[in-house]
Amino acid sequence: MPDKFITLNNVSKSYTRGGETLKVLDQLQLSIARGDFVALMGPSGSGKTTILNLVGGLDSCDSGSVHVADSEVSAMSRSELPAWRSRHVGFVFQSFNLLPVLTALENVMLPLQLTPLSAAERKKQAAFALDIVGLSDRASHRPTQLSGGQEQRVAIARAIATDPAVIIADEPTGDLDRSSADEVLQILSRLNSELDKTILMVTHDLVAAKKAKRLLELDKGLLVEDQQQEA
Amino acid sequence: MQFPFRLAMRHLMARKARNGLTVLAISIAVFLLCFLIAVVQGMEEGIRSASSHRLVTQSAVSLFVDLPTSYQQKIDTIDGVHLTTKFRWFGAYYQERKNFFAQFAVDHPRFLDMYTKDIEIIEAVGGTTGPAARAAVQKAFSSDRRAAIIGVGLRDGERFGFQLGDTVPLIPSIYPRADGNAWEFVIVGIYRPLKARIPDTTMYIRADYINEAFDSGEALGSRGAGVYYVNTEESVPIDQVAKDIDALFANGPQRTQTITEAAFASFFVSAIGNLPLFLGTIGGAVLFSIFFSVVNTMMISGRQRLQESGILQALGFRPIVSTMLLIWEGLLISLLGGGIGILLALATEGSLIRIFAQNIQNYQISVPLMLLALGISALLGIVAGLAAGIPFLRSSPTDALRSSG
Ligand SMILES: Nc1ncnc2c1ncn2[C@@H]1O[C@H](COP(=O)(O)OP(=O)(O)OP(=O)(O)O)[C@@H](O)[C@H]1O
Ligand SMILES: [Mg+2]
Repeated sequence: MPDKFITLNNVSKSYTRGGETLKVLDQLQLSIARGDFVALMGPSGSGKTTILNLVGGLDSCDSGSVHVADSEVSAMSRSELPAWRSRHVGFVFQSFNLLPVLTALENVMLPLQLTPLSAAERKKQAAFALDIVGLSDRASHRPTQLSGGQEQRVAIARAIATDPAVIIADEPTGDLDRSSADEVLQILSRLNSELDKTILMVTHDLVAAKKAKRLLELDKGLLVEDQQQEA
Repeated sequence: MQFPFRLAMRHLMARKARNGLTVLAISIAVFLLCFLIAVVQGMEEGIRSASSHRLVTQSAVSLFVDLPTSYQQKIDTIDGVHLTTKFRWFGAYYQERKNFFAQFAVDHPRFLDMYTKDIEIIEAVGGTTGPAARAAVQKAFSSDRRAAIIGVGLRDGERFGFQLGDTVPLIPSIYPRADGNAWEFVIVGIYRPLKARIPDTTMYIRADYINEAFDSGEALGSRGAGVYYVNTEESVPIDQVAKDIDALFANGPQRTQTITEAAFASFFVSAIGNLPLFLGTIGGAVLFSIFFSVVNTMMISGRQRLQESGILQALGFRPIVSTMLLIWEGLLISLLGGGIGILLALATEGSLIRIFAQNIQNYQISVPLMLLALGISALLGIVAGLAAGIPFLRSSPTDALRSSG
């Protein structure tokens, strides 16, 4: 690896539910370079979402450490994590997770509320993000007035609004038809190649995985496959 | 500014029907609250303003049984009694029954002297105003047996508009005249109440005119005093005077019950049916149930918004932001409802004062009362928002995200 932008070092994570302990990750070792586009595949329950949650600071590991950029995410307190997330990671979810009461533009403006930008600047930046995903003409639409593919593109605009270095996408095309999925994947590729975003994407879709530069396969918490792909 | 105010507004607007009903419910509750407190305060104010040197002697049987006029001389002789006057309910009305106001037949030579601290005479027939007005009214009251003194409310009220010098016909409902006509009274003076317990719509007429009319057969009724108002001397304990009066008539012909004016005023309060307690109980129950329905409404919103809390956390907002959102929304709803309720109370204040004129002299939506109502509304919103929003603080972002919206 040339440089290690995201590092999971000896990370273990288990969940306890109803007295039973389930070991999801066991001494996981993983590093991702800056500007990489990584697809993470694997059977259901293998721990993919768990990895994303640890990298994004939504969940904490039992042992080991998680570094993103220059920060040790695993060492941050619960109160430090929200501000860190707002500056460094953008999330894209399978079910889009837009707020239905807000318009597309307002959804994209939401994370900018946490920045020192003025209202006018926030609006300008959100409009710019919407433009990147090609939805300037849908700024005042509510999520219910958009197609699934459009919703996901708004969600991507929201994820990049604050210009984070890392984008974490959990099955971003899982709920989309082929052509919408392709549009979304194309946008993610462009974000990676043109804006140098480091992308960590979980997917079950081989076509989607092909778009990534690096393919990881996880099984029962272990990395069983790691290959670089041609563009 | 890290707080998404716009999101709160959008949530409120997204559920117009539900939130509108909640606003309506709160406005009714707050109106009711203002109304009840104003009623109770008005009644208490009336009692508080009663003279501490005045007794009311009434029949021990019932307030509605007249005491004989012969009692007055005897009461006058009791040690500690300063002045007495008959005080008899006349019960007539002007033109229509709904134009009702109180008239009391009093002893014209004494009444004004007994009521120096209770009413201020502001104008006498002939136009005398200022300090000289009282003497001028006393003179006019004595010189015409049909003379009457009225409160400013009867001069200024739309339905009355009685002016000095006017002859006012009053249609009897208790004491009909033999000729079947209305009684006629001539306005000779106008007073303004100095005490909360005294309405500004009372008419004081001469007891001797009424009694003589009964004696001569001019009107149907029997000579009587109604009750006696007794001003006492400061040198003698008022309780002693009351005891002495009642002792005097212990053997009849009619036994008396003498109580302080304050007790008499509170008797009237309870005579209108324990209204404060009754309304208080119902109002309390209504408030209580509305309170819980508001909390419940907010808690439903809260559960529906756990996922939103997860999304907001993923975007970098703290969990408390979701709690604050619900508190803010609760506050907006409850303050809007409370504001409307207060406006409603203010808008109806005038007509309620008119309706209550005879019973509650001081019905008033005061500034402290409005502030209290606003405070209670705010508290309601905050508590409802807190109840709905507290669970967000305990949920982890991953659990919140997994919940379905
Ligand atoms: N909060 C939790 N409490 C208990 N168990 C959990 C929790 N989160 C995840 N798990 C369990 O950990 C395991 C790994 O979950 P994870 O969500 O990482 O899987 P995944 O690879 O993303 O699966 P999928 O492809 O179905 O999304 C699963 O068996 C899951 O049931
Ligand atoms: Mg998953």
